[in-house]
Order: sequence, then C-alpha cells, then structure tokens
Amino acid sequence: MNCTRRNFLIGGSTTLFLSGYFPKISFASMQKKNLIIISLRGGMDGLTAVPVIGDKRLKKLRKKLILEDVLNLNSDFGLHPKLEIFHKLWQKNQAAIVHATNIPYTGRSHFDGQNLMETGAHIPYKEKTGWLGRGLLASNIIGKGLAISLPMPLLLRGVPQNNNFFPSPDFVETKLIDQIYNEFKGEHNELIKSTLDTIRQRPLSMQIATDSDDRKKLALEAAKQLKDQSGPRVAVFDLDGFDTHAAQGGVDGAHADELEEVNKIVTILHENLGQAFDNTLILTLTEFGRTIKQNGGYGTEHGYGSAILMAGGLLKKSQVYTDWPGLKKKELFEGRDLNSTIDSRAVYNSAMSVCFNQDPEFLRKEVFWGDELPDLSQELFKI
Amino acid sequence: MSLNFYRRVAFGLSPHEKPDKDPLNWAINQLDTIPDLLWPGTIPTEKDLRKKYGEWVYGDREVLRKKFKNDKHAYRKAKDELRIKTGERYFELNEHAIRHFQTKYSKQPVFERFWLFWGNHFAISEKDFLAEFSTGPYQREIIRPNMVKTFEEMVQSVTTSWCMIHHLDNSESFGPNSKKGMEWGETINENHARELLELHTVSPNAGYTQEDVIQLAYIMTGWAHKWDRKNLETGDIWFDQEMHQKGDKVVLGVKYKNDAKRELAKVIHDLATHPICIKFVSTKLCRHFITDEPTDEMINPVIDAWNKSNGSLIEIHKAVITQAYKYNEITHKFHPPEIWLMQLSRMFDLNIPLSFEKMNYTFKIKPNNRQRQLSWILREIGHSPYRAKQPNGWSDLEVDWVSPELLLRRFWFASVELPMLVKSGNRSHGFILSCLKNNFEEHENMASLIDNFRFGTSDYDLGQKYGVICNLPGVLKI
Repeated sequence: MNCTRRNFLIGGSTTLFLSGYFPKISFASMQKKNLIIISLRGGMDGLTAVPVIGDKRLKKLRKKLILEDVLNLNSDFGLHPKLEIFHKLWQKNQAAIVHATNIPYTGRSHFDGQNLMETGAHIPYKEKTGWLGRGLLASNIIGKGLAISLPMPLLLRGVPQNNNFFPSPDFVETKLIDQIYNEFKGEHNELIKSTLDTIRQRPLSMQIATDSDDRKKLALEAAKQLKDQSGPRVAVFDLDGFDTHAAQGGVDGAHADELEEVNKIVTILHENLGQAFDNTLILTLTEFGRTIKQNGGYGTEHGYGSAILMAGGLLKKSQVYTDWPGLKKKELFEGRDLNSTIDSRAVYNSAMSVCFNQDPEFLRKEVFWGDELPDLSQELFKI
Repeated sequence: MSLNFYRRVAFGLSPHEKPDKDPLNWAINQLDTIPDLLWPGTIPTEKDLRKKYGEWVYGDREVLRKKFKNDKHAYRKAKDELRIKTGERYFELNEHAIRHFQTKYSKQPVFERFWLFWGNHFAISEKDFLAEFSTGPYQREIIRPNMVKTFEEMVQSVTTSWCMIHHLDNSESFGPNSKKGMEWGETINENHARELLELHTVSPNAGYTQEDVIQLAYIMTGWAHKWDRKNLETGDIWFDQEMHQKGDKVVLGVKYKNDAKRELAKVIHDLATHPICIKFVSTKLCRHFITDEPTDEMINPVIDAWNKSNGSLIEIHKAVITQAYKYNEITHKFHPPEIWLMQLSRMFDLNIPLSFEKMNYTFKIKPNNRQRQLSWILREIGHSPYRAKQPNGWSDLEVDWVSPELLLRRFWFASVELPMLVKSGNRSHGFILSCLKNNFEEHENMASLIDNFRFGTSDYDLGQKYGVICNLPGVLKI
C-alpha cells in the first residue's frame, strides 16, 4: 500500500539503528510535520468553548446558556465539558487556546465570513484561492493536501493535485478513467483533467475504501495517511452547524453537540497518529464568534471575536494565549461582541511557517499580501 | 445550433423527443404558463404537511420525552414508531419523486429549469425538520406559482412563507420596544433580515450597514408563526402587532413610517426593484445558464428586459434564454450532480423515480429501500436538493463541484447504480446509440469509446458503457 522504502526505514527496529548514526535533532527535522485545520462553519462561540470564568458579566447576559461542570484551565478560563480531549492534552502541554481572535472581518455574514476565513483576504469573493493552498504552493509542497469532505474546500485551493476522502458506498473501478482521460481537451477541461490525475495517483487504501457515513472511519483514514511519511502534510476537516440562533443551550445544547464532534475528531487523530502526533498541529477555524448576549430564541447572534482551539505535539505549552479585551459594554466590539485583539491569520501564518519549515516573513508576503501579521511561532509553537 | 442547447436550458431530449427546427422558440414558448405537476401519486398540500410536522414535534417533544424520560431504550422505540406514523422519513422521498418526475416528463422542461433555479435562489437549507416536511411543498406552492408574476411578488411570498420564516428564525425576533419585547425582555433576531438583503435581493454590493440590517429586522418583527400549545411552532404565519417594533425605520437611506404590517411590503418593493438587486439576480441567472463568469455583455440584455417589464419573471426568463442561445457555441457550463442525474434520466429513460404505486405509503411500516433509492442516490452524488448546508443554497460554480470524491461519485453512480435503472426493453447497444445520436453531435466518437462492449447487455457491460459515457466532458458539462 503506502509502505515505501522511506517509511519502512523510519518504522520498527531500524529506528534505533538510525538514531545511533544521526544526532537526534537531525532525525527530528527529517520528520514530516502535519498541519490539520478543522473548519467550524456557522460561527463558533468562543465563549461557549472557552468561557471566561473570572467575569460575572457573561453569566448575567446569558441566563439560559449557563455552563455547569466547566473544566478548569486556569484561574481565568475554563473549557466546555464536551472538549475532554483538549483538557487531557492540556495536562501534557499538548493543547492550547488563542482567545479573542478572529479574521479581520466584522460584517457578520456567514457567506462573506466563510469566504474570508478561507481566502484570508479582506474583500469577499475577490480571491479564488485559500490561504492554506497558497501557503503550500509558496512552500513548494505540491499534492500533499487532503480534505475530509466531498467538495474541495476553498481553503485548500490554489495548489494543484489536492486529494479528498469521502468514499462512495461501493467500490469504483478507476480504470474507467483511463478510457476517457484523453477526451478532456482544452483549457475549459483542465480542472477536471487534473482532478482525474489526482484520482489515479491515490494510495490503495483510499481507492478501495467505501462508505463515508462513519465519521470515525474518515478520521481514522486521515490519521493513517498523515502518519505515512510520504503521505499528505495537510488535512482539512469540515464541520457545520455552529450557527446556533436558537436553542443553543449550555452543556447539552446545540453548540455542545458541535463541540462534541470536534472532540471526537481530535480524539481519533490523537489515538491513531501515534508518534506522529508529536509532529502535528491541529487548529480550528471559524468565520466569527457570537454575541455576548443571548437572543430571543435562547441562542446567540453573529458576532466578532472567537477562539482557536489548538492541539498537537508542536505546541510550545498549554496556555490561553490572549490579549483579553474585557466584557464591559465599552470593551465590546460595537457594544455587543467579544472583540478580536489578535488577527487569527497571524496564528495560521505562524503555524504554516512551523509545519512547512518556512520563514514566516516569506509566507506573510506570499500568502497574506504582506499584511501586518506578527510572528507568533516563538510564543505558540515549538520551533 | 448544437444539440447541447437542449441540455443547457433543459434536460436533453428523451427517446421520444426530436430536436426542434427552431430551438430558441421551442425554449421561449415554454415560459408563459405554469405546467401542471405530473406526478400521478400523492401531492400533499403545504398545510397538510405542516400539520404532520406539528404532530411529529408535538409527539416527540411534549409527549414522548416526558413519558420516557427515564428509559432511553423505550424512548427510542416510541420515537421510531412516531416517525412511521407521521411520515417523518417518507415525505422528503415523495417530494424528490415529484420533482424528478416533473423534470423527466414535463412538456416545458425549460420552465422546470427555472423552477430549480428559483428554489435554490430562495434556498431553504438543512434545519430542524424542514427538509422532511416543508421544503418540498414550499417549492411547489410558494416558488412555482410566482414564476409567472414579478420578482417583487416572488420576494413577498417567500418572505412571509412559513418555511422561510422558520428557516431564518423570524418568529424569534421581537421589537425591543414592542409590547411583548418589553414584557419579556426580548429583542430582535437579525437572521432573516440579513439574508433578505444579502441573498434574496440587493446583495452586499449595495453597501448596507449593520444599522440597515437592524432597521430591516425591526420592520420584519411581528411576522411570525402563531404559536399555540398544540401546534407549537407550526401554526400559520400572521402579523403579531405585539411583537412589532414601534416607530419609523430607515433602510438604505429610505424612511419607512410607523405603519405596522404594511411596512414590510413597502421595503420589499424598494429592495426588489433596486438597480443593484436587478444586477445581482440577473448575473446569477446568467451564471446558472451561460457560464461561471458571465460578462456585462451577457448580463445587460437581461437587466434591460427586467427594467422594461417592471420585473416580470416571464420576460426576464425569456431574456436569459435568448442570451443562453446567443452564447451557446462559445461558452461552457458545468452541470451540478442533480441536473446531471435528471439529464441522464430523461435522455436514457432511466427507471427513476419509482412508480407512484410503489411510492405509496401506509404510515404503518418505514419506507423501504426502493422508496428511498432516488433520495439516496442524490445524497451520494453530493446534491440532496433540499439539504443545502447554508441559506445561500447550492453553488453554481464548477470549482465547487469538482473534487476527486465528487467525480468518483459520478463514476460510481454511472457504472454501479445506473445499470440497475435501465428498463428491460432498453438494454441493447442500439438503444444507447440512438440516445447518443438524439443528444450529441459527437455521438460517433462517443460510440467508438464503448465499442468494445457492443455485444454485452449484462449489468457489468452496461456499467462499463454508462461509466464511460456519463463522465465524458461533453456530458459533465456543455
């Protein structure tokens, strides 16, 4: 299947043999680093996932959305009880949070917002490629993107030959492709043609897989591919349903159900990446946070600042990294939303620089048009 | 004119149809009237299905959850029985059959393409039990009758429909200074107001502000379902003065005087006739029928027709078709999976949907696999029409529909599933060749690609043939 000579050499007892010859540091730098993004569509409520426990205003404004049994992170912040794996990894310095952060977008539209969270741009629909795709291209990492979804997310567009995994109910004979491949002529057929190329190069386990109803199987296959030294270096998961205008609830509400999905994916990745988890970064991505105040339907409205949940061995330490803006009315964005004090693109740019072994300055220019994005690699990640 | 025009604006030609001498007139003449729904089986009304919706949510929420609060297992069993009794797992299947049957047999297939377009422009995305009970009848009773009226009338109907109001939470929106808003300390829910601006009418190109959204939400307060203990949220839509924000409102610089329920019609008039709205929707129509990136040259005649006819959808549709005809030979357009399936079904006379007798439902046992087949196929090829993920509906862009898995799903359908849908009289090689000839200029080249299997009529052979044909560039797109 995927057992190339290279990953055979680094697996099993030969590892000992190798580490005897090379200093440990160079062995580590040989390891492939994985970047996994989980898109949380609909507007993830950072204050439900990572509530600020030191501020009574939150409870006052959200009487029907109170969380009990919050897992404590530190004296200021807690964690939603459904995010158990993050709590577990927190103890081992393998989970962290960036709080009061968002893409620089304040328009509160899902569609514009999701477009911008993926393109990383300032004007909706202007850019046709995603920041992750451009980051891969700039780093000359081609054909190493894997999306766990049926369509190809905009986030990964911009670099050719990405793969996705969401297998059909029955086995598909890919040799049919050989019979029609040459019929795809001309520029207007280029996109389909290059996608057929990608299909023809898929590893066997992906070719023979069936049935995508089982979320667990999808995450397992992703872990398997990411673990492979010659496999993908980037994976994108897509979750939706975070748009909880109504019945958002507390510990068991609609938002909790979605966070539980995030927790499941990270749990499976952690269990199955094995040692590769040490060379992995998992980051969430959303279009905006939600209003502080609950609305008429015991839900919340579209807001601004949110949080990034992070896991993986490439994190520097467990921490809530934030420049906390406060929840007093005058501290809120337009008097209603948690403010964003960190451009989340700075976090993603730094994460790419670590995982793709690139200078963050270079990526900032190549991917984000030289926008003012501080390098956070030192603070957040192991470099 | 190429035969592909019949696929650009319709679903191709069935084995019983022949190309028309004047394809443009053939298409344009289909737009003046609303064709009857042809499905010979049950076509329940929106109101009846809403009643079923009510029985389902009431039964679950108010009865079963309380009765079985300490017995998870018994609860699950009772809930499954309630699903069967209310048709919770059935009605969406029936709606897919009604829709597919229509696109397959309609004498006005061009009209049906516009029906699909508008249903997706005013999309109802996956939420609560809308796909199960409401989105289908909304397409039939709200979208369809308005297709011979004006765009403004369509927006009015959509905006005050139960389905859209539930979809975008307007029943939860209270004017903060209204009687109920003050008493209960409630406030607005902006969701519906925002989408009315952004998706349904003027689009963000109009440069509206957060304040515009809030002001429009104020105007919309009061348009809500009539709640009662028995029907819960499934009561009829009415205007509840006690929820309505008092005072004048200003949207996009226009002042709307305090005028209760009449405010909404006035603001919709201004939005639906706004030049930016006209350009936005005209562009979307051209994108759907002509090419992913339509030029001003393509769009402007549609805008002219819109202005001249004061937004008559019949005239707008005719202008779109005229443009689609004009640019047919020099533009390409990719077909999303459902349209591709409908075209294959019509061109090759496939055995979907299931016959209406077999679709009959007794409310005593759960729907069987055959009854679920069409809906299952739609889901697996990535395009379950009433389950768009977001209120902006399904994309019209090729890049959103091309990924390894989405293409593989088409190979899967054509080579594994489709052979089982070929009617017994249609298994010969000659039948395939005649369908190709009826629909494709390049039919000889297509035939040569499947010539190896010309003697085969087994499911496997048919799978090899259709697997190739259905995924050729000229079938995936025009």
